[in-house]
Amino acid sequence: MEGFIFSVKRYSINDGPGIRVAFFMKGCPLSCMWCHNPEGISPLKETVIQTNRIGTREFHHREDVGKYYSAEGILEILEKEKVFLNQSNGGVTFSGGEPLLQFDFLHETLKIIKENGYHTAVDTSGYSTAEKFKAIIPYTDLFLFDLKHLDEDKHKEFTGIPNGVILDNYRILIESGRDIMVRIPVIPGYNDDPDHLKRLRQFLTETKTISLKKISLLPYHKIGLSKYKRFNIPYRMKQTEPPSKERMKELKEYFSETGVKIKIGG
Amino acid sequence: MYISPRVKKLRQQSLDAVEKISAERALLITQFYKSDEARELSAPVKRARAFEYLLKNKKICINEGELIVGERGPAPKETSTYPEISLHSLKDLEILDSREKVFFKVDDEVKNLYKNEIIPFWKGKSNRDRIMSLMTPEWNDAYNAGLFTEFQEQRAPGHTVLGYQMFSKGFISVKEEIRKAIESLDYFTDNQAFEKNEELKAMDIACDAIIMYAFRNADALEKLATIEKNPERKNELLKMAGICRKVPANAPDTVHEMLQHYWFIHLGVITELNPWDSFNPGRLDQHLYRVYKKEIESGTLSTEKLDDLLGCFWVKFNNHPSPPKMGVTASESNTYTDFCLINLGGVTSEGADAVNEMSYILLDVIKEMRILQPSSMIQISKITPDRFIHKALDIIKTGFGQPSCFNTEAIIKELLRQGKNIVDARNGGASGCVETGAFGTEAFWLTGYFNLPKVLELTLNNGFDKRTNKQAGLQTGYAHDYKSFDDLMEAYKLQLNYFIDIKIRGNNVIERTFAGWLPVPFLSLLVEDCILNGKDYNSGGARYNTSYIQGVGLGSITDMLTAIKYNIYDNRKITWDELTRALEADFAGFEQLQHEMIYNTPKYGNDDDYADNQAVLVFEIYYDAVNGRPNSRGGVHRINMLPTTSHVYFGSVMGATPDGRNAHLPLSEGISPFQGVDHNGPTSVIKSASRIDQLRTGGTLLNQKFSPSFFEDEDSYSNLTALIRSYFSLDGHHIQFNVVNAGTLKDAQQHPERYRDLIVRVAGYSDYFNDLGEDLQNEIIRRTEHE
Repeated sequence: MEGFIFSVKRYSINDGPGIRVAFFMKGCPLSCMWCHNPEGISPLKETVIQTNRIGTREFHHREDVGKYYSAEGILEILEKEKVFLNQSNGGVTFSGGEPLLQFDFLHETLKIIKENGYHTAVDTSGYSTAEKFKAIIPYTDLFLFDLKHLDEDKHKEFTGIPNGVILDNYRILIESGRDIMVRIPVIPGYNDDPDHLKRLRQFLTETKTISLKKISLLPYHKIGLSKYKRFNIPYRMKQTEPPSKERMKELKEYFSETGVKIKIGG
Repeated sequence: MYISPRVKKLRQQSLDAVEKISAERALLITQFYKSDEARELSAPVKRARAFEYLLKNKKICINEGELIVGERGPAPKETSTYPEISLHSLKDLEILDSREKVFFKVDDEVKNLYKNEIIPFWKGKSNRDRIMSLMTPEWNDAYNAGLFTEFQEQRAPGHTVLGYQMFSKGFISVKEEIRKAIESLDYFTDNQAFEKNEELKAMDIACDAIIMYAFRNADALEKLATIEKNPERKNELLKMAGICRKVPANAPDTVHEMLQHYWFIHLGVITELNPWDSFNPGRLDQHLYRVYKKEIESGTLSTEKLDDLLGCFWVKFNNHPSPPKMGVTASESNTYTDFCLINLGGVTSEGADAVNEMSYILLDVIKEMRILQPSSMIQISKITPDRFIHKALDIIKTGFGQPSCFNTEAIIKELLRQGKNIVDARNGGASGCVETGAFGTEAFWLTGYFNLPKVLELTLNNGFDKRTNKQAGLQTGYAHDYKSFDDLMEAYKLQLNYFIDIKIRGNNVIERTFAGWLPVPFLSLLVEDCILNGKDYNSGGARYNTSYIQGVGLGSITDMLTAIKYNIYDNRKITWDELTRALEADFAGFEQLQHEMIYNTPKYGNDDDYADNQAVLVFEIYYDAVNGRPNSRGGVHRINMLPTTSHVYFGSVMGATPDGRNAHLPLSEGISPFQGVDHNGPTSVIKSASRIDQLRTGGTLLNQKFSPSFFEDEDSYSNLTALIRSYFSLDGHHIQFNVVNAGTLKDAQQHPERYRDLIVRVAGYSDYFNDLGEDLQNEIIRRTEHE
């Protein structure tokens, strides 16, 4: 069985503890307006025009987005990075896209790499079935769980899907005994109004268990903008500006009342 | 660290002082060599008397407010010349005066002295003239083609570091050792007894000379005290005078005495000759800790006073730019830095963690002083606490390029492999850029950079160098004659061995010129076993005597060979004729081919065995050619892999290369990948770099450029620490971080006036960005940013 992966990142230090290898899996049921990995949304094969430069000269060629990897192939990469993962108490992270969209591959691969002694993390939107989450819980040391909006309509407006399933799955994982780190993208004008922040903080506090290790506040950024151009996808958030450093500090302060460690960035 | 107004002022003076040529030393040495006395003496005694003459007649300089005294020249940054080593012509002086980067101002008085006194006496008689007249035509052809550089043509061999021994004794007891050594000379069975006696006599004169010089400083301080109005400073001056009468004659007992003691020794070494890497106190935290602890406990030293002393000491190094060079040497290491590398951390001679309070205090001094010299590094062993590394990262983060990180276990293993005993190995460290040495016991000379990619270029062209129009190498055939990759490597090996033979033959002659004409009786006092052996440091008197040839361009040659193997032999994508034509045209009209070579060919630095295998191949051939070959001092030749800035010069003598590099561009530096070709991140670079067996070298250099965002918080510090420890667990020798973003550097290029304080890591050392040539600036900008 093979997984369809659009990017492999070594020395990944923002996707869980320590030095990690992050695999970004192609295909996502959500289409968040601010998504900085738009090439990860479609589960289909795509090609893109890649430009290489030598001085001022440009060379264009078509390149496939995504490659197929077997669990063994993944393991081979991890073996190469082993010394760093061990030294830093790091591991491997499956991100995306939505990794659970390729459930069979994810399930099998997590099992194999867990057997080989690596720390495993799954970075998820929370949008999958409860059964699938339950199936990978034994092989996943850490879930990186995105919480975008608590309001069903707002969630649907900006991500394309309602949030009911997501919140249900969150409740399952938080009771699972596995580590959870919540990631909240801070999108000005979408989820940062006082009322929603208050609800979010309340939700996190009420559902909190020992599993909840950290809350990361991810400031909205425009780094992905060039990708939209390259992939010819319309970018719908041109008007939105990244939150200021001061604002992020304020929010950090605000969420520390949950009693959980708060971090700005991954 | 608290920077007092005193230190602040001295620091600013040092930053503002303009580098100038001083003719004082050149004039004094000329006067001495002209004297009747000089003509009658044996070489070592003559050099000792010359040393004495310099110290007796040089101007004494006491800067206002300073606590540590002594300048090489008449004032800060007024820089001595060494006509007995290499003589600057009037034209050289003009170039130094007017060149944009790393200039030395030369006033009319100096020019006149050179014209009327110095040049007439030394013309044709400097050691550089001697060396050049002794080299074979083959050596000259290879040298001119840019296959190697020669370290000893403009500077004396130094490359040594003070060990702990000299921090706990004075020259009066050294004189006693000399007396005993003279007494035990055996004129019946030792046919060298006479020569030994001359050398030991010279050493004794050198002891007296340095004590005399300290007393001259004491006299000057006392004289200043009589006219000093401020009672506090008056007291200080008298106290300093007392210290100069105590050290270096006697062992130092306080931190103040220890710093002054070392500084006199440092001045002695750089006045006697202009040895490479000036001189170096080495494991400073270890040396100072004992007296520091004692003083703190007895209450004789406050932290403010300590900060003042260390601040004054630091400024002293910065007052002493590297002696001015000319010609090729100017571009191979064009910098004011004199490579004095303070070592912190590591292990004790018993193998315990050596990090102590003084290690942290000195890190703080490095951070707060923020000046070019001295350079600094931390030694990291398996038992070095993370806290210490984090504290160093705190400084590295600021983009200052210091301290660099070294692997203590690797240094120890390298030294043990070379036959040093375990205690000498643990007391060792790195000096200069990254060079492994046993401190206080070893003369580890660098003899020249060696251009590995140039050997390949000649191998592809039947040994003929197009630039100089000379048959520099062997006639092993042309590119298209090599039917297989193995054929090519066989020819490469023949060429390499041929050039290494030329280099080693040259080294063995050059080393003898220093032994014969330019002994260093003062430096010989400082390195163990010279007195015991009755032999000069320059003649193999030290316990260990190593000659290094520094391989340059590993990343580049690996990519070149890989491009050939991949595109010509393994996949038959192109033919030799196509590639040869493309190279001759510098890829003009062959852009698509160049693109293939750069973007669609495996590269070193990506943890890709297909490419990295060639690095191992090149390394092993180089190692076999050099390692263990006898030098002329009773030791052997060994390799290390560092470039300083020679990769720029070496690139300038080369045409376009099969890796897609255009003609005359810089080569890769150290064992780092070629600029910009590593696209898998730092872990892959580390994996590639650790494919070569670094423990069989005397040092390698790995440069990693990071943007400040990798230093954001505790987590990122921990990850960087883990990255360093991982590399070291793979037996990596050294890694340094260049923390800047390209935007800042580009802006600095546009507006140098706004970035006068911008210091960047070049290669094994830091330099002011503004003092780098434009090509080097561009290269630093290009180096991959691991975002």
